[in-house]
Amino acid sequence: MNEKKERIILDVAYQPQVRTAVSTRRLMLDVLIALLPAVAVGIYQFGAHALLVMATSVSSAVFFEWLYRKFTKKTASIDDLSAVVTGLLLALTMPANCPAWIPVVGTFFAIVVVKQLYGGIGKNFLNPALAGRAFLLASYSTALSGTYLVPRGLKNAVDAVSMATPLSALYGEGSMSGLYTVKSMFLGNMPGAIGEISTLALLIGGMYLLCRKVITWHIPVSFIGTVFVLSLLFGKGNMGQGAYAVYAVLSGALVLSAVFMATDYSTSPVTLKGQLVYGVGCGILTVLIRKFGSYPEGVTYAILIMNLCSWAIDKGFRRHQFGVSKEDIEAEKAAKKAAKEAAK
Amino acid sequence: MSQTFIGGVHPDYMKAPQIPVTVITPPAQVVLPMAQHIGAPCKPLVKKGDHVKMGQKIGDNPAPVSAPIHSPVSGTVVAVEPRPHPLGDTIMAIVIENDYKDEAEFMEPLTGEELKDPEAILRRIREAGVVGMGGAMFPTAFKIRGGIGKVDKLVINGAECEPYLNGDHLTMLNYPEQLLKGIELVRIASGVDKAYYGIEVNKQDAIDKLNSFDPAKYGVEIVPEEVKYPQGAEKMQVYAVTGRSVKPGGLPSGVGANVVSTRTCYAIYQACYEGRPVIDRIVSVGGSALAAPVNALTRMGTPLGYLAEQCGGFVRTPRKIVIGGPMMGICANSFDAPNIKGTSGVLFFTEEEDRHEEEPHCIRCGKCIQVCPMRLEPVFMYMFYSKGDLANLEKYHVNDCFECGSCAFNCPARMPLTHAFKTAKLMLQAKAAKEKAAAEAAAAKEAKK
Repeated sequence: MNEKKERIILDVAYQPQVRTAVSTRRLMLDVLIALLPAVAVGIYQFGAHALLVMATSVSSAVFFEWLYRKFTKKTASIDDLSAVVTGLLLALTMPANCPAWIPVVGTFFAIVVVKQLYGGIGKNFLNPALAGRAFLLASYSTALSGTYLVPRGLKNAVDAVSMATPLSALYGEGSMSGLYTVKSMFLGNMPGAIGEISTLALLIGGMYLLCRKVITWHIPVSFIGTVFVLSLLFGKGNMGQGAYAVYAVLSGALVLSAVFMATDYSTSPVTLKGQLVYGVGCGILTVLIRKFGSYPEGVTYAILIMNLCSWAIDKGFRRHQFGVSKEDIEAEKAAKKAAKEAAK
Repeated sequence: MSQTFIGGVHPDYMKAPQIPVTVITPPAQVVLPMAQHIGAPCKPLVKKGDHVKMGQKIGDNPAPVSAPIHSPVSGTVVAVEPRPHPLGDTIMAIVIENDYKDEAEFMEPLTGEELKDPEAILRRIREAGVVGMGGAMFPTAFKIRGGIGKVDKLVINGAECEPYLNGDHLTMLNYPEQLLKGIELVRIASGVDKAYYGIEVNKQDAIDKLNSFDPAKYGVEIVPEEVKYPQGAEKMQVYAVTGRSVKPGGLPSGVGANVVSTRTCYAIYQACYEGRPVIDRIVSVGGSALAAPVNALTRMGTPLGYLAEQCGGFVRTPRKIVIGGPMMGICANSFDAPNIKGTSGVLFFTEEEDRHEEEPHCIRCGKCIQVCPMRLEPVFMYMFYSKGDLANLEKYHVNDCFECGSCAFNCPARMPLTHAFKTAKLMLQAKAAKEKAAAEAAAAKEAKK
C-alpha cells in the first residue's frame, strides 16, 4: 500500500476544489434551447427557406470559427457552441427569402472580424450577430429589408408572395393594415425576419433563460419597458397611443433583441444596476431611431451603440462593497466636496 | 424566517450526518507539527526518548498569540524533526510511538466558582490548546480576551456551510448539553449576557435537539439561518445574526461582535469540565476516491494516508487531498502529513470532482459579481490582475476578498479567480512592505544628516 501511494502524484490546486456544473458550453446550449420555439415558428411560417438560411448561417459561423482558430494556431473553440449561437441569431434576423450567401458573408464578418480578431469569446465589444447584421444591412440593404415572405398563416388573406412588415408599414404610412391584430403579432402571424415574428415563442425562450439563470430580468425588462413607455408618450400617426405602444413592442425585432441580443454577456454591463441603465439606454435609442432615423427598425443600432457604452456604464455604476453603509458613502461624498472647495 | 446575507452560492452539499461517528484506532506513530494555530509556533518541551502520557503538554510558546500542543496518545518520543505539514511546507514536529495504553494525564476539571470566573476559564482555554477549530486556528483565549469590553454580541458559528463537513452537526446532535455548557463558558469569559447561535436550517434536527435542552438557561439563543455558502464566514455570520456589517478591513470586534465556532465551544467544555486538552476531533472524510464517507473521530497527528486506510481505503486513485471543506480547503501534498486542530475534513478527490479548464476564457457573464458576499467585482479584479495593474486592484478592493471561492465556484468559464486574488493580495503586501522599507531607509538617511 505504501509503495503504491508513493507513486500517486498529488495535485495541489488552489481553492475552490469544486465548481458548478454550469459551464460556458452549457450556457450556450441553454441559449440554443431557448431559441427553439422561435426557430420552430420560423420554419412553420416560412418553410424550407427559413431552414436553409439557418443551416447556412450556423454551419458557416462554425466553419469560420474553426478555420480562424486553426489558421492562427490557437486552441479549437467550436466546442463552446458560441459560434452556433452567433450563427443562429444572425439567421433569425434575416428574412427567409434572402439569398443563401448573405448569411455566409454576415457570419464571416461576425465571427472573424468582430469576434476573433479581438481575441475570441468574451473579448469582443460588439455583439457579433448584430454587428454582422449591421454590416449586411449597410452592404446589401435590398436583399435584407426589401420585401418579406408572406407567412403561412396569412396566405389565405394575402394574394402575394411577399409583403412589407408591420413595422415598415407603421414607418411609412403611420397606419396599420387590418391584417395585423395584437393577437396575430403576438403569435407570429406576420411577415418579418425568421426569428422575430412570434413574441410568444420568444417569451417562452426568455422564461427558460430566466429559470436557468442564464440571464437576469434587468436588461429585457428595462429595454422593452422603456420602448413601451416612450412609445406611449410619443405616439405616432393616426393611431391611438396605447395601440401604437403595443405595436411598437410586438411588430419588430424588439423582443428577439431584448431577450437574446442585448443580454449577450461580453457586450453588456456586468452589474445589475449597470444592466438596468443599459436596458433603458437601448430603449431610448430604439425609439429615437424609429422615430427620427431613416430605418423603420432601430434595435440593431441601438444595441450596438449601447455595446460601446457598456464599459463606461460598468465603471460608472459600481456597487459598494460589503460593510460600506449609506452614511459612509455620504461622508465620502461630503469629504470630496469639501476637498474641492478647499482647492478653490 | 431564517436569516442570511446577500450573495453566496449553493454547492452540492454532499453531507452525511446520518452516518454515525467511527472511532479511528490511533496510528502506531502520531506526528504533531509545532504549528497548529495562527501565531508563534510552539517549542518542543520533550526530547527523543521521553515517555509521554495522553494529554501531556509537549509543545508551548509563552507568546500571547499561541496555543500549546498536547500528546494525543501515550508512548515514547521517537523523533523531534521537520515533517510535512497538511497545509504544505515541512515544519518541526514531534513524533510519538504509540504504546496503545492511552495512559491519560489530563488537567483537573474546573469546579464551582472557577466555572464562573472569566480569568480561570480563559487560562484553561489557553492551557488546553484551544484554537479556532472551524479551520482558522486562531488561539481562542487571545481572541476572547481581545473582545472583552468591546464585544456585546457573542456569535456562535453553527452554519457549517462547507460541503462534506458534518463534525459540527454531529457535535450538536451527540453532545447538545455539553455544547450549550461550552457556549455558556465562552459567554462568561467574554463578559456578555447572551450568545447567539447561528445554525443553518439544514440542521433542523440539531436545532430541535438543542432547543429541547432549554438554551435560554445557558444564555444562548438559537438563530436559524438560510442554507447558503459562505454563511459560516465570520462577517456573513455576524451580519446574518446581528444585522451589523463589519467595515472593510475591519474585524467583527469592530462592530462589537465576536465569532466562535461550534467545535471550539465543545473543546472549551472538554477543557473546563473534563480537564481534557484538544487531542481529537471529528474529521469528515470523503471524496470519490473512497467507497463511502466516514465521520471519523480522529486523534490529532494521524497521518492522512493512514486515515484513508482506516476509512475503507481507496477504491479509486486520489488526485488530491483537500484539508477542510472543498470551497476554502487547501490541498495537502503528502499522505504522511497529519491532521491537526483545524482539520474539519479530509477529502480524497479524483478526476470526478475536478472541473478545471486548461485555457479558460472569461465570457464576462458577471456571475461572479452576483455571488460575491463582499459585493466585489471579481470580473474586473481578474482583468486588472492579468494586466498586473496593482493600483486598480486596490481600487477595486481586492483586499476585502477573504477567498471564500464563491466567484470561482460559480464561474462557467472556470477562471482561477480565487487563486488570482490571493496572489494579488500577496503582491500588494509585498509592494507595501517594499514601500515601507524604502520610506524607513529614507527616514534613516535623513536622520543621519
